[in-house]
Parts: sequence; C-alpha cells; structure tokens
Amino acid sequence: MLLALLSSVLDAAPAVVFAAVGATLSERAGVVNVGVEGMMRAGAFGAAAAALVMPTPLGVLVGVAAGALVAALHAWLCIQGRSDQVVSGMAINLVMLAFGQFLLEAAFSSPAGTPAITQLPKWFGHSPLTWLAIVLPFVVHLAVTRTPWGLRLRAVGEKPQAVAAMGVRVTRLRFGAVVLSGAFAGLGGAQLSTAVLDHFESHMPSGLGFMAVAAMVFGRWTPLGAAGAALFFAFGDALRISLASSAPGLLEVVPQGVLLALPYALTLLVLSLQRRGAARAPAALGQPYDPELR
Amino acid sequence: MRRALLLMLLVAGGCKKSSDAKDAAPKPALTVGLVTDIGGRGDQSFNDSALRGLEVWAASASFKGGRYEAMAPATREAMIPAALKARVTPVSLKPLVVQSKVQEDYQPNLQLVVDQGADLIVGVGFALENAVEAVAKQNAGAKFLLIDSPILDAKGAPQTLPNVRTVVFREQEGSFLAGALAGLVAKQKVGFVGGMEIPLIKKFEAGFRAGVKTTNPGAQVLVQYTGTFDNVQHGKQVATDLVAKGCEVVFHAAGSDGTGVIQAVKEARAAGKPVFAIGVDSDQSHLAPEAVLTSMVKRVDLAVWQAIKDLEGKAFSAGDSVMGLKEGGVTLAEVTLDFPGKAEALAKVKALETAIISGAVVVPSNEKDLEGFVAPAN
Repeated sequence: MLLALLSSVLDAAPAVVFAAVGATLSERAGVVNVGVEGMMRAGAFGAAAAALVMPTPLGVLVGVAAGALVAALHAWLCIQGRSDQVVSGMAINLVMLAFGQFLLEAAFSSPAGTPAITQLPKWFGHSPLTWLAIVLPFVVHLAVTRTPWGLRLRAVGEKPQAVAAMGVRVTRLRFGAVVLSGAFAGLGGAQLSTAVLDHFESHMPSGLGFMAVAAMVFGRWTPLGAAGAALFFAFGDALRISLASSAPGLLEVVPQGVLLALPYALTLLVLSLQRRGAARAPAALGQPYDPELR
Repeated sequence: MRRALLLMLLVAGGCKKSSDAKDAAPKPALTVGLVTDIGGRGDQSFNDSALRGLEVWAASASFKGGRYEAMAPATREAMIPAALKARVTPVSLKPLVVQSKVQEDYQPNLQLVVDQGADLIVGVGFALENAVEAVAKQNAGAKFLLIDSPILDAKGAPQTLPNVRTVVFREQEGSFLAGALAGLVAKQKVGFVGGMEIPLIKKFEAGFRAGVKTTNPGAQVLVQYTGTFDNVQHGKQVATDLVAKGCEVVFHAAGSDGTGVIQAVKEARAAGKPVFAIGVDSDQSHLAPEAVLTSMVKRVDLAVWQAIKDLEGKAFSAGDSVMGLKEGGVTLAEVTLDFPGKAEALAKVKALETAIISGAVVVPSNEKDLEGFVAPAN
C-alpha cells in the first residue's frame, strides 16, 4: 500500500519537479515565467518527434533543446523587447497549444498524437528521468546558493542595477537563466511523452505547467522548495487515487468530488500553516532591466 | 476565422467542380453538410466516425489533400463492418465538411453550411446542442441531425424541433457486454476508469457493473474517476493503481485519459501481469494490440448514414431517436486476443446480447436502477 503510493508519486512527479525547479531559475533572475506550459509542450512534442528517427535518450535531449528554444523567444521578448512578462508567457502558451496541433496535423496527419516510439527503459522500476528528478533539485540548489553564478543570479533578481555596477552583464545573465528554465521545462515535457506515455498526445501537458508555476510559488522560489511542493502535489493526487480504490466503501460515504478536491485541500492546509512573511518574491521580478534607472 | 473557412470551402468547391467535369459523373442530387466539434477530423473517435458515415459509407469518397476523390468500391467495403455490409449502400451526394476550432465556431459554421444550400446538416457531438438549436430555429426550411444529445430547453428538459433529428446512444448496453466479457475473463477484480463524473459516464459505469454482476457475481468492481478528459497522466496513474490493486480487466470511458489507461495496462503486461484493457468509442486496439481486449464502439457512422439514407428516400423524420444494441448503435469491437475459454465466453456474451435485443434483459443506466438490477439466470 505504502510502496504503491510511493511508486505512484515517483511516476507522476518528475514532469512537474523539472518544470518547477526550472521556473525558479527564471524567476530568481527576475523574469516571470508563466510560459512553462508552452515550453513543456514544446519539449514533449520535440522529444517524441525526434525519437521517431533517433534513440529515445537523444530524443529527450531534442525535447530539452525545444523547450530552451521557446524560452529563448520568451527571453528575447522580455529582456530585449522589454514586453510585459506575463503577457509574453501566456502568449507562448497559446501559440504552442495551436502550433503543436498544427505540427501534428501537418507532419503526422493525425490530430490525436504522434506514432508510438520506444519508451525510455526502466531502471529499478522507474524511468531514469525519475531518478534524475530526485538528484537535480539538489544540484540546482547547490548551484544557486554556493556558486558565484548563483549569487549573481539571485542578485540580478533583487537589484539588477547593483549587479550591473559590479560589472556583470544583467541581460546576458537573465537570458541564460530563462533559457535554462525552458530547458528544464522541456525536460519535464519530454518525460511525459517518453516515460509516462510512449508518444506525444495532443493535449499534453494539460495544465501541468501551471501546476509547476504554483509549486514554485508554494516552494518560495527555491529549487528545493519547488521540488518539494511538486512532490507534495503528486503525493496528494496519489493519496486520493489510492484511497478511492483501497476503500471502495468510502465512496458510498464521501462523494467522489471531495476526494478529487483532496490534493487542493491539502495544499490550502499547508499554505495556512506556513510562516508568514517568509514567502517573498524576488524584488525585481517582472520588471524589465533598464540600465538608465538607478 | 469565418472568412478563412469560407475561402477554404470555395477552393474545395472549385476543385470538386473540375474533377466532376473530368469524370463526367452525374451531378449529385443531395448536399450534406457536417460540422465537427473541436475534436475535428482525425480524432480517431467521434468525429472520425461521423465523417466515415458521411464521406465513405454514403458518398464513397476519400478526402485527400483538401479535396474529394472517388473511392474504389473494394476500399469502401473494407471500411464497413461485416455485419452491416449488405445494409449500408452508397448515396449520391456532395459532402460539405466544416471543422470547428473553437466553441464560438459552431453557430457560424452551421449557418455557413445552411447558406451553401445543404439539404441536411449534421452537428457532431453534444457540444453543438445550443448552436444547432439556434440555427435550426432561424432556418426552419433546413434539416438537421444532432449526434449525442437531445435538444434541451433553457431548463434542461428535452424538447423537439420540427426540423431536427437527434440521436443518442444506449451506452449502457454496450458497456454491459464489456462488463460481461470482463467478468468472464477476470476471476476476482475488474476496474472501471471514468473521466468526469457526469450522467453520460455514469451510464457506462452502471452498464459495466451490471454486466460484471451477471457473469461473475463474486467479482469486485473498483471504480475510479479521473476528473478530467484530457490528462493522460491522470489516466495512467489511476489505472496503474487499479492494476496494483489486482484488477485483471480495466474498462475506461475517460476520453484522452484513456490513452494513459491503456498505456498503464500495456506496461503492466510487459512486466508480466495478466491484465487487459477495454477501450471506448472506437476500436482502440491499435494503441496496444496485445493489451486491448475489445472496445465499446459507438456507431456514429451508422447514425449519420441512416439519416442520409432516410433523406434520399424522402423518409427523413425529425424527433429524438435512441440507438442501442438492437439498432446497431453500440457494439463490442471484434475480440482478436486469445485467452483461456475464449469461445465459451464469446458465446455467452452473444447470448446476453440477444437477450438485451429481445428485451428480456433491461440494462440499468444509472446508479439507482443498478441497485434494483437482478442479473439474468445463466
């Protein structure tokens, strides 16, 4: 029972973990990233389409690149174009939704999904990406808190002018952070199409990108917090599913809708228990960098 | 969007004309329009089934690269199930298909087809109910066919319009057969995965449970709803859980979530567990030939073809119709997989089908009727 629960979490969480950890990078650098959904979609499609003609692990890398490419567009709009970051992110989501469908119909003449690919192999019962999702948040945590790059990244999201005064190029640093964030989202998307399923399905990622953004906020803009929140969401879902099937009698007392709301109710509960004031967004979040300002 | 569609239509119309001239075929007497829901062409489910009824079964044409080509009779025959081959005859007509991309397209698209002078306009899916109602009221001279929903008034009560035929399906009857087969294949536990918990999906659940109860009264049915119709990950998670709890057959009525359900069963089989999935709406065995036992098929194609045939014979009538096993509206896809005792199991399912068609067995369509359901003696 408990093992099954754990296994369910390990299968379901990675996509959101990758995307949420990625989103922290972009936002810590001061660029709002609500385009995670679209970047995940690009990753999921890219990985599945590439895996048709090459080994699946290479396909995953193509998915990562696809996510990064879409993020580069977001970065260009937000940093060079200084456009509204939320609007740009939402636009990316909408464009990718339609563009994915267009590519499906144009390249595979099937709006339902791509043909089947070879699924990623399983290591100890789970895909390699699951194990990567456990290690990666710690790596990113160390990078953000213990390296010069991490210090600059955090500073650029708080007081970019100060960082510029120290001789660091703000736009380049931000651009890199957003692209990296897209690469992570692409990896999350690729996990959906190469490990959860064995093809790209036309609805992917069906809202998981927004879950990732929520996990990032819930995790207070820290890599470990975001990953923890993503795991927590997955745990709530797994608990709900497991409860319904292990105690069928329960459904006669509790309506199914209450169980469906369980993950969200748990989230509210934890949010209400969090210390106040500790959750603070980066100070320069959402503001385009203007070197003229002081 | 509307103008773009019109342009596409005009182009398609132009192509059609030139190919007509080349073949010197007689000008078709009828024009039949069809408006898809947002699923559109190629959804491998509802819309494709309706398009098959119109384009292949009736018009015997294939749609390639934006135009229609005449289809060889042998190709057409191959796309009609064996039981219907003799009945389903071609009709001389010109199809006029408009795909909807967003919900706001439904009404303008229907009006567009009316303006093109279509003799019959097919609206595919319950999502078009409001649009069909509005357009039918504005164009009293045009005839409409609405699939999967009656016309509802503002309070949600069914009403009839003098120029609209509606078709709904008795999904519970097909699901009953799926349940009966599942009960025969499984020993102790079977699973049901629904999408959103709405009355339509409840019909599937009630029928399925009654079927299991009939052939395997001791079996436990585990029921799960994913709460969505478009999240494959939820479907897979739910099905993985059901398989881990010991379900030997899992039936889904969960739209795209079902892709995840079938994937979970496929992976469990690869890991050595003897478990099967049962698909829904169309034959889903192509998703995982080794794991999909059968599918509960809704014959939307037949409903569309029948309306066109009635129109040709001047016998088209408005009003609500219901298609169940008897009318061929629902059915089980052919079982190609082997399992122990297959011949007897299929014979038993066949006998139950006969009993439902004759009216000896009435399949429950909701939870309340299910409680009062008494399994027929075997």
